[in-house]
Amino acid sequence: MALLEIENLTFTYNAAHTNALENISFSVGRGEFVCVCGPTGSGKTTLIRLLKREISPAGSYSGRILFDGQDIRQIDERTAAAKIGYVCQKPEQQIVCDKVWHELAFGLENLGLPNEAIRRRVSEMACYFGMEDMFDKRTDELSGGQKQLLNLASVMIMQPDVLLLDEPTAQLDPIAAAEFISTVHRLKTELSLTVIMIEHRLEDALPLSDKVLALENGRLKLFGPARAAAAELAVSPAFRDALPSALRLWGRFDIKSEPPFTVGEGRAFIESSFSNRVRALTREAYSHSDAPALEFKNVYFRYDRNGADALKNLSFTVYEGEIFCILGGNGSGKSTCLSAASALVKPYAGQIRVFGKKLKDYKNQTLYRNCLSLLPQDAQTLFLHNTLREELDGVDTQDLPFDLTPYYSQHPYDLSGGQQQLAALAKVLDTKPRLLLLDEPTKGLDARAKHEFVRIIKALRSHGVSVVCVTHDVELACLMADRCAMFFRGEAVSCAPAAGFFADSSFYTTAISRMTRGYYEGVSTLDEAERICRLNVK
Amino acid sequence: MQGLAFYNPIAAAVYFICAAGVAMFTMNPLLLALSCAGALSFDIALRGLRGRQGRLPLFILFAVMALINPLTHHNGATVLFVMNDNPVTLEAFIYGLNASAMIIGVLFWFRSFSRIMTSDRLLYLFGRLSPKAALILSMALRYVPLFGRQAKRINSAQKALGLYKDDNAIDALRGGLHVFSALVTWALENGITTADSMSARGYGVSRRTSYAPFRFGRADACLTLLCVLLAGAVCAGLASGALAFRYYPRIVSAPLSPLACVSYAAYACLAALPTILEIGESLKWRCLKSKT
Amino acid sequence: MIAIENARIRRALKIIIPFAAIPFTVLLGGTVFSARSYAFVSLAVAALSVALFISGFEKKQTGARRLVIVTVLIALACAGRFIPLIKPVASIVIISGIYLGGEAGFLTGAFSALISDFYFGQGPWTPFQMLAWGLVGLFAGLSSGVLKKSRAALLVYGALAGAAYSAIMDVWTVLWYNGAFDIKLYIAALGTAAPYTVSYAASNVIFLWVLARPFGQKLERMHIKYGI
Repeated sequence: MALLEIENLTFTYNAAHTNALENISFSVGRGEFVCVCGPTGSGKTTLIRLLKREISPAGSYSGRILFDGQDIRQIDERTAAAKIGYVCQKPEQQIVCDKVWHELAFGLENLGLPNEAIRRRVSEMACYFGMEDMFDKRTDELSGGQKQLLNLASVMIMQPDVLLLDEPTAQLDPIAAAEFISTVHRLKTELSLTVIMIEHRLEDALPLSDKVLALENGRLKLFGPARAAAAELAVSPAFRDALPSALRLWGRFDIKSEPPFTVGEGRAFIESSFSNRVRALTREAYSHSDAPALEFKNVYFRYDRNGADALKNLSFTVYEGEIFCILGGNGSGKSTCLSAASALVKPYAGQIRVFGKKLKDYKNQTLYRNCLSLLPQDAQTLFLHNTLREELDGVDTQDLPFDLTPYYSQHPYDLSGGQQQLAALAKVLDTKPRLLLLDEPTKGLDARAKHEFVRIIKALRSHGVSVVCVTHDVELACLMADRCAMFFRGEAVSCAPAAGFFADSSFYTTAISRMTRGYYEGVSTLDEAERICRLNVK
Repeated sequence: MQGLAFYNPIAAAVYFICAAGVAMFTMNPLLLALSCAGALSFDIALRGLRGRQGRLPLFILFAVMALINPLTHHNGATVLFVMNDNPVTLEAFIYGLNASAMIIGVLFWFRSFSRIMTSDRLLYLFGRLSPKAALILSMALRYVPLFGRQAKRINSAQKALGLYKDDNAIDALRGGLHVFSALVTWALENGITTADSMSARGYGVSRRTSYAPFRFGRADACLTLLCVLLAGAVCAGLASGALAFRYYPRIVSAPLSPLACVSYAAYACLAALPTILEIGESLKWRCLKSKT
Repeated sequence: MIAIENARIRRALKIIIPFAAIPFTVLLGGTVFSARSYAFVSLAVAALSVALFISGFEKKQTGARRLVIVTVLIALACAGRFIPLIKPVASIVIISGIYLGGEAGFLTGAFSALISDFYFGQGPWTPFQMLAWGLVGLFAGLSSGVLKKSRAALLVYGALAGAAYSAIMDVWTVLWYNGAFDIKLYIAALGTAAPYTVSYAASNVIFLWVLARPFGQKLERMHIKYGI
C-alpha cells in the first residue's frame, strides 16, 4: 500500500482567483525518493506544504491527502508532527535554539518526552550524523552546510516516515550540497525513509531519484519513473534548463538511447553516438582593454590580529569592460576580496586601485558615487521600505535591461528570490557604477532566473560596465565570464581567459568539460558540446 | 574532589543562594568579612591572581561607597571631626564600611556566579521552573549575536550603496536608524520561517519538557544538603539574636555565645567551600599527572 | 533527576508553594534578616511577582509565531543595549506592549533585562530590572488604545517610563545600601543618577518618535499576513 496518496487535490489561496494547484493525483510508496521539479510559481512549495499539516498555507482545498491510509486532517497531532518531517531552504532561519544539543532535543521536548529518553535519542542521532565534535557548539558557529545537516538531524530525531524537503541545497555551496543529498540518500536506503524533495539543481539529485514529479502552472505535468520522466523533460523548454548537463546534451539530439544522468553516463553517450574526428572548435582569442578597472597589488588582510590571513599576497587586475569571475571554495577569501575592493575592510598591507586611483584617495564616500557598487550575497540587506515602489523611489529605472513595474505594490520580502535579486540590482545600479561587484549573485535562483541574470549582466557590460563576480557556481562562471581567477587560501592561484581556464582545470570545471575531456579538447559549455557533436555525427 | 562547576546547576545555585543570600541581608561585620574573604578567594581561584577583568574598579567602588555614609549621615555618638558644620562620626564611618563590604562581597559572589552559571546551566534551571521561559531564553541567546552580525551586514551593504552621503555625525545617526529599521524587518520576516520550523517539529502539541545534559547525582545531593544545613545554622544564629549588632548611637555587639560561635563557624565553612573544592580539584589533577 | 514523577504530589506542591512562599518570606525577613528586612522583602517580592507572571504565561497556549515575534523583540532590545549613549530597550518594550498586548509587553521587558544582564552583569538588581521594565511594557499594553492614537501621549509615556524606571531602580539601590528606605540617600541617589535618568527619558522619546510608526507598520503587516 502506498504511504502517501494524493487524490484530485485542488487548492486555492485565500483571496486568490485562480487555483494554485489543480486536480493533482499521485501516490508514493514507502522508501521511495521522489524529486519534484517545475519552474518558479508552478506550485511546488504549495504542494509540499499541504502535505505537512502544521504549516499548510491558508486557503481552501478539495480532494484528499492520505497518509498511511488516513486522511491527513484526521491524524492526531503527535503523529502528524513526528511522522512527517520537513526541511526548508533557509539553513539559518530554521534553527531555533542556541546550542547544537538543544536544537537536536527541540522536537522531542515538544512531544513532552522525559529527559532520559531525549538523552538517548539525541546521542544516537549525533553519532549517526557524526556530530560529536560540534555537539556543544553554538549553532551560529556552524557553516551553512553544517546548519542544514543539523536541521535534517533535528527532524530525523523524531523518527519520521516521510521527509519533505523544500530546495534544501539552494543556499549551500556545491560541496555542502552534494554532502547533504548523499546524506539524504543514505537515510533513504538505510532506514527505507520516503523522501519528497523539491530541487532546482538536479545535477546531484536526479541520479538518486526513483520517481520524478513535474509541475507546471499548478498542474501535474508528469509523474513517473525517473528515466522515463527525464527523457520527456529533456525536450520541454520549461524544464530542460534545470536538468543535469549530460541529459540536456542528450535532449538536443534525436537519438534513441537510455537518457544519461551522470558525467560518466554522459561520456558513454558521447562516445557511443559521436566520433572524435574533429577534436577541437576554432575560437577567437580573447583580448581585454588596457585600462585597469580594479587592481590588487600584494594585498594582505586579516579579520583579527591573531587570526590567519584572509587575503594573502593577493594580486590581480580586472580591465575595463570585462566580466571577471572569481571562483574558489569556502574561506578562500573571495567575499573578503570584494569587501576590500569596496573599502568596507582595510588591508594591513598592499595596495588597491579603482580606475587607477588609490582607495584612500576617494574621500567623502565618492567611491560609492558613479564609481563602484557592490551587490551583496543577501539581497534582503538592501531593502529599507515597505513596498517596492518606495524602495525604488528616485531610482532611474528607464535604462535598466529589465522591468519591475508589475511588482511595485508588493513588499520586497514577498517577491520571489529572482525578483528580489533584480530589485536589489536596480538599487545597486542607481549609483551608476562603472564597476559592479557581485557576491554569489545566483545563489538560490532557479535555472530560468539564472539565465535571465546572465543576460542582464552581459547587457550591462555592453553599456561599458566592468563586472567582478564571486561565485561557487562553475557553470555560471562559464556562461558569463570573460576571464576567471581561482582563489585558494586568500591567494589568486590561477587567472586566465575563461575558455582556457576551464579547459585547464580538471576538477574545478563544468560537467561538460569533465564529460568531454580527452575525447574533445577545450569544450566547456553545452552549446560548444552540441556544436562539436554535430560536427562528429557518425 | 571537583570544582563547583562540576556539580549539577541546582546544587550550584543553592550554594550561591545560601552564601550570597546571607551576605546580602546581614550587617554583622564578622559575617561580612567572611563573605568578602570567601568571595574574593573564590574569584582568585577561578580567574587567577591577575583576573582578566580587573578587580580594581570594584575596590574603587568599595572606597567610594564606604565614604558616602559618614558624609551624609551624622547620627552616632563618637564625633571624629566636623566638616562644613556637620559632624562626621565613627559609627557612621563603620556602618558605611560594612555596608559597602556587603555590596562588594555580593558583587564578587555574582562575578563567580556568572562564571560558573554558563547559559546552558541557567537554561537548565529555568527549564525546571518554566520550559517555555527556557525556550525563550535559548532563542534569544541565539538571536542577540545573530542580530549583531546582520546589523553589520546591512550597514556595509548600505554603505557600499551610498546610504551615507557624507562623513558626518547627523548622517551617521540617520543611517544607523535606517539600518536598525531594516534589521527589524529582516528579523520579523525571517522569524516566520523559524516559527514554521517550530510548528513542523510539533511545538504546541503537548506540554513541553526541557532537556538538559545534566544529572542530579549523589554528590549533588550531598552538596545541596551541606549548604542548607550550614545556612540553616547561620539563620538560627541570626534569628535568635545571637549575632545581633547595633551601630547607632553606639556600636553594641551581642555577647559571644556558643550559638554565635557555631553560626560563625558554619558561615566560615560555607564561604570557604568553593575555594576548597577548587583547590582540591587542582591538587588532584597535579597528583594524577605526576603518577603517569 | 529530581523531577517529581508522582503527578499528585506535583500538583499539591504547585498549590502549596505560592501560598507558603509569601508568609515564609515575611517570616524570614522579620526574624533572620531583621537588620535589612526591607531590602530582603522587596527583593523577594520582586522575584516572586516576576515568577508568578511567568508561571501564568507557562500555563497558556502560545502560538509559535507569536512566541517567535516576542523573542525577536526581546533580542532586538538586548542588542540595542549595546548602542552607546542612547538605549532603545524601553521603547521596544513599550512598542511590544502596545501592539502585542500587556502580557507580551511584560515578557519583553522582563526577559530583555534578564538576557541583557548576561552581557552586562547579573546581580541582585536583575529582578528589579525585570519587574521595572516588565511593568513599563504591561502599562503600555493596558493603555494601548490611547498610545496608538496619540503620538504626544506616547512620547509623554516614554519620558515618564524612563524617569520611573530610574526612580524604581534607585529605590532598590538605597534599600540595599542602607537596609531601610532613607529619603536623604534617595535624593542623593536620584541626583547622581540624574544624567542616566535624562538619557533614559530622552532615548525613549527619540526612539518612540522615530521607531513607533515604522515598527507599528511592520507588526501590522505581520498581523495581516501571518495572523499574529
